[in-house]
Amino acid sequence: MDVPVQRVVRPRTLDEALVMLAEQPRSRPIAGGTDLMVQLRDGRRSADTLVDLDGLDLAGVHEVDLGVEIGAATTMDAIARHPLVRRRWPALAEAAALVGAWPIQCRATLGGNLANASPAADAVPPLLVADAAVRLASPSGERTIALERFFRGPGTTVMAPGELIVAVLLPAPSAGRVVERFVKVGPRREQIISMVSLAGRAVVSADGTLHDVRVALGAVAPIPVRARRVEAHLEGRRPDAATRREAAARLQADIAPIDDLRAPAAYRRIAAAVLLDRFLEACHG
Amino acid sequence: MTSHLEPVPGPLGGRHPRIDAAAKVTGSTRYVADLALPGMLHAALATATVASARVLGVDTAAARAHADVVAVLTAADVPANSIGVIFGDQPLLVTDRVRMVGDRFALVAARTAEAAWTAARLVGASLEELPGVFDPVAAVADDAPLVNGASNVFRTFHVQRGDTAKQAKRAAVVVEAEYRVGGQDHAYLEPQGCLAIPEGRERITIVASCQCPFYIQQGVASVLGLPLAAVRVEQAPTGGGFGGKEDYPTEPAACAALLAWHTGHPVRLIYPRELDLQATTKRHAMVVRHRWGADRAGRLRFAEVETFMDAGAYVGLSTVVAERANVSAIGPYHVGAVRVATHVVYTNNLFGGAFRGFGAPQVTWAAEATMDKLATRLGMDPVELRRVNVLDDTRRTICTGQRLRTPVLAREVLDRAVELAGWDGFRAAPPAADGAWRHGMGVSLVLYGCNLHWGGQRLDRSSAVVILQADGSVVVRVGLTEMGQGNLTACQTVAAAALGVDPSQVQVWQPDTTTVADSGPTVASRGSLMSGRAILDAVRRLRVRLDPVAAELLGCRPGEVELAGGFARVAGSPERAVAMQAVAKEMSARRIETIATGWHRTKARRFDPATGQGAPYEFYAMACHVARVAVDPGLGIVRVEEVTAAHDVGRVLHRDALEGQIHGGVVQGMGWGVSEELRLDRGRLVNPNFTDYVIPTSADAPRITIALVESDSEAGPCGAKGIGEPSFIPTAAAVRNAVCDALGVEVDTLPLTPPRLVEALGERHPFAWVVEAATRPATEHEPATVGPRA
Repeated sequence: MDVPVQRVVRPRTLDEALVMLAEQPRSRPIAGGTDLMVQLRDGRRSADTLVDLDGLDLAGVHEVDLGVEIGAATTMDAIARHPLVRRRWPALAEAAALVGAWPIQCRATLGGNLANASPAADAVPPLLVADAAVRLASPSGERTIALERFFRGPGTTVMAPGELIVAVLLPAPSAGRVVERFVKVGPRREQIISMVSLAGRAVVSADGTLHDVRVALGAVAPIPVRARRVEAHLEGRRPDAATRREAAARLQADIAPIDDLRAPAAYRRIAAAVLLDRFLEACHG
Repeated sequence: MTSHLEPVPGPLGGRHPRIDAAAKVTGSTRYVADLALPGMLHAALATATVASARVLGVDTAAARAHADVVAVLTAADVPANSIGVIFGDQPLLVTDRVRMVGDRFALVAARTAEAAWTAARLVGASLEELPGVFDPVAAVADDAPLVNGASNVFRTFHVQRGDTAKQAKRAAVVVEAEYRVGGQDHAYLEPQGCLAIPEGRERITIVASCQCPFYIQQGVASVLGLPLAAVRVEQAPTGGGFGGKEDYPTEPAACAALLAWHTGHPVRLIYPRELDLQATTKRHAMVVRHRWGADRAGRLRFAEVETFMDAGAYVGLSTVVAERANVSAIGPYHVGAVRVATHVVYTNNLFGGAFRGFGAPQVTWAAEATMDKLATRLGMDPVELRRVNVLDDTRRTICTGQRLRTPVLAREVLDRAVELAGWDGFRAAPPAADGAWRHGMGVSLVLYGCNLHWGGQRLDRSSAVVILQADGSVVVRVGLTEMGQGNLTACQTVAAAALGVDPSQVQVWQPDTTTVADSGPTVASRGSLMSGRAILDAVRRLRVRLDPVAAELLGCRPGEVELAGGFARVAGSPERAVAMQAVAKEMSARRIETIATGWHRTKARRFDPATGQGAPYEFYAMACHVARVAVDPGLGIVRVEEVTAAHDVGRVLHRDALEGQIHGGVVQGMGWGVSEELRLDRGRLVNPNFTDYVIPTSADAPRITIALVESDSEAGPCGAKGIGEPSFIPTAAAVRNAVCDALGVEVDTLPLTPPRLVEALGERHPFAWVVEAATRPATEHEPATVGPRA
């Protein structure tokens, strides 16, 4: 079956796109379309008009004063291969390389991954541990909000009608000896939606204590979450066995998994604890 | 006359290019969805979304009113509304009762596929939901709601051999277990599809993605009330079958045929993937109960097996699946006494049907799990226990009492697989854990009956036509199909070998019911066996006319003619040769008949269905797989690292095709064993897509090491045995045993998904405690109170 859409329009500038999105009722932006096309076909989302973001110069990784700005239309493949991202935000590069399969990575965009607002979105936990912010545009102007406040629930965000994600801002990571990881769990090696995913980032001091610890998880709550209780507990501690056990316990209050067809809640709790433990073990080593 | 002195190796056992490969990989092959005709309409199905209901009425007004809709048909428009392949328990369109999700209320034909499916959703069915049955064991209870007919147990099949009570007294260890073995979707690349082309009211052609054109011919003729000769079925190039295009394609073909008959237009029906996953036949989910015992020496004294097969709401082929399951239920082992009872049970779940292995994989999974449990109880190596019990030339009676033909190669495949896999070294010094990964190794054997069971003997025949063209090239037609498994190439190889020509000179065309006689279904690993034997027969008959012509050209007697290397030559004097082209040209010039038909049927056998004793299959193939796995117990993830597959294949016809079958069987078997799970909610599939129905990708494929144990036998053409199914059956069982070896716990439910393995570890998982911790108030999260239990 085809996608039940009336028309596709191709704006030439961002302003034109924003006007189209604002003026056309039942319109949606489309970039890679790897989520949207499937959802339109299944009736999980609907649109009369698709506004094609291709050609608006929204792709690319640009260094800015305080870090980098990744254009919303940057593909996962471009992110996974970008030298600067790989060096300074390795968890994001790793996650981008695990989205779907490689052909999907060549179409799927970072902005799309956020707009789709899946609790299991692979790119989100690494962005959360990077303290990323999202730049939104609309005909009335721009605003920037922290990614942690961007999602409202499965498939929904704080974006107003007509608002468009234009970029994601990653502040420069803290200096020092940093351990950063992204791991996803699924029943096959590639091309799988996460049952649980975890991104972790910590600065390890010379004495082995952890600082600026950030942990984020996917598929364990209605939205991807930062494990704030875990982070608070770990600050200034050495990740020895007792600390790791306590972190695993506190993690359970940071997450709220459910039983669904991909995994039962109990499995998600256990697997999240294992992923956290392994991340902390890596920090300990 | 050309001389030809060097002996030429024939194509048998070689690797010449597959007949269909280049066209398929370059996108030149035209599948049924690529075919369109002027005036063609598109069909869609209005189907039930609940599994059990009374039908109060079907309202088609809105669908009829939809733009571009040409026809909407209901049960009242069907001349003969029954589609069951063996039993008449299934209507093509439902009238009074919905028994499964996907049952059809109405058929729609429209000018576009979009309009057809949109209109199909506008068909209103007024339903009164009824209680359903969603478990084959629960379905057997006295108070279970009835699904279809007077009892939910449609039939029970038995094997009774020896006195199990008496033998049980000699058992030192007894294992009792209940295995829950899940179903599987075929996941063929190409969904179900067909094109029906009417010619007036006289006759009709069906072009279908299918395994069994003759089944479709019979089904369509029966539904439309036509003679068989008025229904022509042409097999379209078929993008995968695995059993899913055995019985099922008759249903879409009958739907398209009805619409074509009614509208007078060609009608094409292509299933959307979601409907294909929900409504078409699946591997049967089974519950298998075991009570097996062995003496101190490990000799199997008795085996009791009771199996509940989830047939779904219609019998389909389930009875035949049960018969095959029974023969493989205790594996290729010698057992003192055997009791097997397999119940074919109606439920409101998915429709059980044909799938590679046909009942044998489920019971093999259970049998090989029990063998490992017995080995554990006896303190024996799993391979040693199998060696004590495996059939061989000296001990070759299977559970049906049939004495197998020699050579019986079960011991050989076991020894070869175990040696190649490095079993002894692995057991003596298991590899150390590699980070989170722990290693395990497991073994499984299978006893596989080739061709059709005694109950299907009447279908076990095959037709071929061989036409020698005037230029020496050869056209071959057979009644069995190519669905990706390599039958065209196998037939090409056999014909080329028999005629002594290069395979490139032989073109085997897709079957068409008007070119050959009913050859039965392309199932049971019988494609190349049965087609090949019929081709040999056709070549034999062709040579009755060919050899005298060649003899005349060669100046010898017809009995001295041999065909090899592209020449007819004098036996014993290979330098006296004439090219086959010259022989063909001469036959054409003399107007000698260059077309010959061939026929093969299997030998008649005796079997008693009441006791399951007799000769259910003509001959057997053995196989042994050894799996080496890495398991991450923390996350419950399984990586199948290597599968060593030893197969008793008779003689190799085409090596690439044979190895391809084994590679495919192993990967498909692994997928069934570890990740593929049909998740049902009251009969509705909740993961009808390849996002959540998780088949392996090439990234998951293990290293596959193949050992072919060849032998001469009177099996198929040139000594070949079937490989399609035996290549699948042992893998999941070997993987299960390897995973249990790695984890040190028993897992008796298939598939072995991450949550299932973590659950199986229970309190042995170092973080099992977090689940309970999560339910306690946060204030209790004091460091001193938190931690794994001792």
